[in-house]
Amino acid sequence: MDGKRKFNGTSNGHAKKPRNPDDDEEMGFEAELAAFENSEDMDQTLLMGDGPENQTTSERWSRPPPPELDPSKHNLEFQQLDVENYLGQPLPGMPGAQIGPVPVVRMFGVTMEGNSVCCHVHGFCPYFYIEAPSQFEEHHCEKLQKALDQKVIADIRNNKDNVQEAVLMVELVEKLNIHGYNGDKKQRYIKISVTLPRFVAAASRLLKKEVIMSEIDFQDCRAFENNIDFDIRFMVDTDVVGCNWIELPMGHWRIRNSHSKPLPESRCQIEVDVAFDRFISHEPEGEWSKVAPFRILSFDIECAGRKGIFPEAKIDPVIQIANMVIRQGEREPFIRNVFTLNECAPIIGSQVLCHDKETQMLDKWSAFVREVDPDILTGYNINNFDFPYLLNRAAHLKVRNFEYLGRIKNIRSVIKEQMLQSKQMGRRENQYVNFEGRVPFDLLFVLLRDYKLRSYTLNAVSYHFLQEQKEDVHHSIITDLQNGDEQTRRRLAMYCLKDAYLPLRLLEKLMAIVNYMEMARVTGVPLESLLTRGQQIKVLSQLLRKAKTKGFIMPSYTSQGSDEQYEGATVIEPKRGYYADPISTLDFASLYPSIMMAHNLCYTTLVLGGTREKLRQQENLQDDQVERTPANNYFVKSEVRRGLLPEILESLLAARKRAKNDLKVETDPFKRKVLDGRQLALKISANSVYGFTGAQVGKLPCLEISGSVTAYGRTMIEMTKNEVESHYTQANGYENNAVVIYGDTDSVMVNFGVKTLERSMELGREAAELVSSKFVHPIKLEFEKVYYPYLLINKKRYAGLYFTRPDTYDKMDCKGIETVRRDNSPLVANLMNSCLQKLLIERDPDGAVAYVKQVIADLLCNRIDISHLVITKELAKTDYAAKQAHVELAAKMKKRDPGTAPKLGDRVPYVICAAAKNTPAYQKAEDPLYVLENSVPIDATYYLEQQLSKPLLRIFEPILGDNAESILLKGEHTRTRTVVTSKVGGLAGFMTKKTSCLGCKSLMPKGYEQACLCPHCEPRMSELYQKEVGAKRELEETFSRLWTECQRCQESLHEEVICSNRDCPIFYMRQKVRMDLDNQEKRVLRFGLAEW
Amino acid sequence: MLEARLSQTLLLKKIVDALKEIIAQGTLDCSENGLELQSMDNSHVSLVALSLASDCFEKFHCDRNVSLGLDLKSLGKVLKCANSDDAVTIKAVDRPEKITLSFESDGKERTADYELKLLNLDQDHMEIPKKDYTCFIQLPSSEFARICRDMSMFDESLTIACSSKGIRFLAKGDLGTANIQLSAGTAMDVSIEVQEPVTQSFAGRYLNTFTKATPLADRVKLYLSDERPLLVEYPIEDYGHIRYYLAPKVNDPDF
Repeated sequence: MDGKRKFNGTSNGHAKKPRNPDDDEEMGFEAELAAFENSEDMDQTLLMGDGPENQTTSERWSRPPPPELDPSKHNLEFQQLDVENYLGQPLPGMPGAQIGPVPVVRMFGVTMEGNSVCCHVHGFCPYFYIEAPSQFEEHHCEKLQKALDQKVIADIRNNKDNVQEAVLMVELVEKLNIHGYNGDKKQRYIKISVTLPRFVAAASRLLKKEVIMSEIDFQDCRAFENNIDFDIRFMVDTDVVGCNWIELPMGHWRIRNSHSKPLPESRCQIEVDVAFDRFISHEPEGEWSKVAPFRILSFDIECAGRKGIFPEAKIDPVIQIANMVIRQGEREPFIRNVFTLNECAPIIGSQVLCHDKETQMLDKWSAFVREVDPDILTGYNINNFDFPYLLNRAAHLKVRNFEYLGRIKNIRSVIKEQMLQSKQMGRRENQYVNFEGRVPFDLLFVLLRDYKLRSYTLNAVSYHFLQEQKEDVHHSIITDLQNGDEQTRRRLAMYCLKDAYLPLRLLEKLMAIVNYMEMARVTGVPLESLLTRGQQIKVLSQLLRKAKTKGFIMPSYTSQGSDEQYEGATVIEPKRGYYADPISTLDFASLYPSIMMAHNLCYTTLVLGGTREKLRQQENLQDDQVERTPANNYFVKSEVRRGLLPEILESLLAARKRAKNDLKVETDPFKRKVLDGRQLALKISANSVYGFTGAQVGKLPCLEISGSVTAYGRTMIEMTKNEVESHYTQANGYENNAVVIYGDTDSVMVNFGVKTLERSMELGREAAELVSSKFVHPIKLEFEKVYYPYLLINKKRYAGLYFTRPDTYDKMDCKGIETVRRDNSPLVANLMNSCLQKLLIERDPDGAVAYVKQVIADLLCNRIDISHLVITKELAKTDYAAKQAHVELAAKMKKRDPGTAPKLGDRVPYVICAAAKNTPAYQKAEDPLYVLENSVPIDATYYLEQQLSKPLLRIFEPILGDNAESILLKGEHTRTRTVVTSKVGGLAGFMTKKTSCLGCKSLMPKGYEQACLCPHCEPRMSELYQKEVGAKRELEETFSRLWTECQRCQESLHEEVICSNRDCPIFYMRQKVRMDLDNQEKRVLRFGLAEW
Repeated sequence: MLEARLSQTLLLKKIVDALKEIIAQGTLDCSENGLELQSMDNSHVSLVALSLASDCFEKFHCDRNVSLGLDLKSLGKVLKCANSDDAVTIKAVDRPEKITLSFESDGKERTADYELKLLNLDQDHMEIPKKDYTCFIQLPSSEFARICRDMSMFDESLTIACSSKGIRFLAKGDLGTANIQLSAGTAMDVSIEVQEPVTQSFAGRYLNTFTKATPLADRVKLYLSDERPLLVEYPIEDYGHIRYYLAPKVNDPDF
């Protein structure tokens, strides 16, 4: 308790920092921290006992005490956040197998009062189905159960769990196969319930491979639903969706306490047992859409690394851990503290807990986590850095009990490697640490999933979303700060606290937790799997739920990795050009989902090849009850059977419509963004249903569905084009013949040949209605916008001014143009943006051309800020087949300094440098900072020819015609160039600089080597001197402005700037100006002291 | 005002050919003593220096120092328009934005004037101080070109070993090894002066571009010293030279 007492001693003198409410200036983080509601009891940390078991040391940290609960008199309601299962012993009086081990489901959650709950759900058994052979009868069930039971037990390799019973029950049931329409008559299936989840796979494998019963052969019987995770199985069968409320009605549950049997296993305040069929799972609607006040712990650690080496847990100590804990729904974190190694000066608004030994600090932190009992753990890149580091470090230092961070007393948190492969995310290697009952919710994962950014460092992210630059202390400086005095450690602590606080602010700003919870509720999967798994599981969970209510079961599918392809979407050949007239755009609303709904495309409605004739005879299926799709597949119409997928889509789209309506009335710009995000998430979920049917390595691919969907889409685009072009003609009394100039997947662009926005909108609306009436409900063609003017460059490449109202434009819309792509430098994006703005909004082509010329001239003269030239690319793997710039550079940087070098998954920033002729581009990449420090010459030609020329010509050719190239890229403005002299390179050490005249740049004649001007320029000495001094003064001023800017950002105006934030443009500018100033100073010095 | 007249364009063509392979642009510094140009190649691994004394020209006049930023590719194009035996006059005003190249055929029957826009290059003037080298080799320039070409088939890097016995060129690659030895003698017209033996490796790519200057001179001079860049000098008659400097390869993975 040393640390705490010290803290008490130093913090007594705190005066509340005076705050001027009229102060309009933005608060710095330090002030912000100080301004948090000053908790009166922060200074009086109550010590209520110690020891690893009894964790309550501080009232502030602990949860409120739980109410007295009597299972016979009270209901217990809680919001569950995590669902998992374990092997346990059966509890007498509970359903299910009575001989252990049995699977028990554990739900963790929080009550509305903020008490944590661990609920053991007993009696739910895993099961699967197989097709029943025709001779299989009811009386065979028992025999099969016994035979299979023996086989499965014999199959267990080493029976360390002492399993005595494997197959619990065999029943004959009647179900429908989800795949293919076969009438409403149910078929017979055998439902096999087993004791442990792993026996599902074992039993179905044995049924396939071995002879179980001599009289009946099961080897050709297809297995159903044997590839469903146990947790998902449980949630589907008990109607539990992610993050919903669970109610345990009185009389049906038992409480665990210190004298109950079994004893509590968890660190939760309330621990209970219930049977799987005795609790109520509330649908998240109405009252039950509320959110419990769960605790979110955000933390960040600092390590004292060695120079140039990335910290390694075995060697480099952890020196600080900053923590912020917030209750969901509140605005400010109610716990703010930092655990430090060695003395640290006090920080207003935060507790400082100093420790003499690292082991002591780690031990206390671990106890802190257990005491605070957070439901959600967050931070930035905690999964891949902070957690593994802490665990490895604690293991190395042999800190006892550190690894017990989860909610189950006897389970350690350990690090596992996890691979995630998904179409959306690509391949990712992650580390995963288990915390039973706590959800690791790494902000980095959220951002990687939901946002496409140039850089994913915390600095870049906080700038992007919060418009705040953040001081970035390079880890090599951290050690120096730690080895300084208590003030330098305080500085480090401020930095560390900020890193812990930012994730919370970002989560709040992005409403990530609320949105993810919504997603979990809509799709029915646990919160955690949204971050750790792909899209398929979401669809699967919804499909299983729908199928269950209608008596369908899903066949298991083993992917064969077939190459069968179906035709994708269609693109109407664009009529390229610059359109000065308004262009109306007609869009299909949610095209693919609405096709599936309109044409009732589903697994359950598919008429499998060859069964059509049979169905006609047996089920009396008439031809008009079947619809043939353009891809030549047959589906029954909805009056025969409504498909499951269309129903799922309907509920998703209804939810989206609600979100969109909210969006319309919402005025707060940020909440608008959030609602927009939610409707987008629902749209993605709806579209992923289509993706699920097309995923060939998926759980149940069905190319008949996905192929039909795209085929319908193609015909619809064609039909729209024909309708519009045949109806809107001069012959029908319209101003002009309408022309469809472009169409892609779900939209067509129409030139009605009218001059005003009002008229084009009117015609657009009319056409949308006209065409919609020709399609099946709910397919709807919508008029959404008019582009005016419109620059159509190519397929999927266009730009235009986007109008939804005739009076003002909404935005400038660019598709496929280099304004957004991340593998281009910001120079290109900014230039394109400005050009398009000048072309489309200002309608000033000459201005745009002049602007381009200026930028090109700046580029050739090395006047472009280097941060604009940085290209970033993700280092996804190291073994690319072809050599790539960013991979080569990463390897090169690793040799220079393994500490700062990019790692797998990082985005590598680089610039292209000049190199000898024919040097492949991948060798020309260089670290921007290295370039700046060594004045390595930039390959301006590369940027001009490879990056700028093509996109520029694309947008200017429709306007300037064929000589665009010579106007833009070869004019007078390209004749002035600056060549910098590199400080590295083979010859750098041998060369000396020859003096040249400061006035006319010519070489100094003999005898004048020491002078500053050549004889011809000497008469202008005074003028030239003033010019140089003026330039120096200007640079000085720029530098001090940048310097103060950085000091302001680090919030201490009297300390040196130590930030090296590579995402901050000011950082690069500061470095560049510093060097320019050095050179300029030398130039001025050449004039010597005044002689006149 | 600069005015320089050469009786034959051929020399200028050869010079430009020798330069344009290694640099795209350069500053031509003109003074009363003649013309000079030096520039590093893009990757800053080698340096090329041209020096032409005023005697080289039929007529030479330069009343103040001027620096001309030349785009060598464009200059090469202009020279293509002239016959090799045309006389050429280079003219530039004091603060030039362009230079004029006038070509005259033998009997002055045909004159052609070309104006070439200049670049405004903001470039440091670099030089490598002349120091004594411990090895000095002279050999036929065509032989040197051949060695460089042959060696580059084996490996990117080429090792030159000098001793009093002779000079050896070595290359080791996936194909196998190449080893060429030259010793002093009159038949091959090779002369070798060695004070201390030297062994250094160089990037063959650069040596190969240096040999573009082969048409300028029959004999090429190589200077080597430990811890100094290699100097390859092609004399231009008695009036000047083109010098190439190349840093030896260190075992630095960067280069």
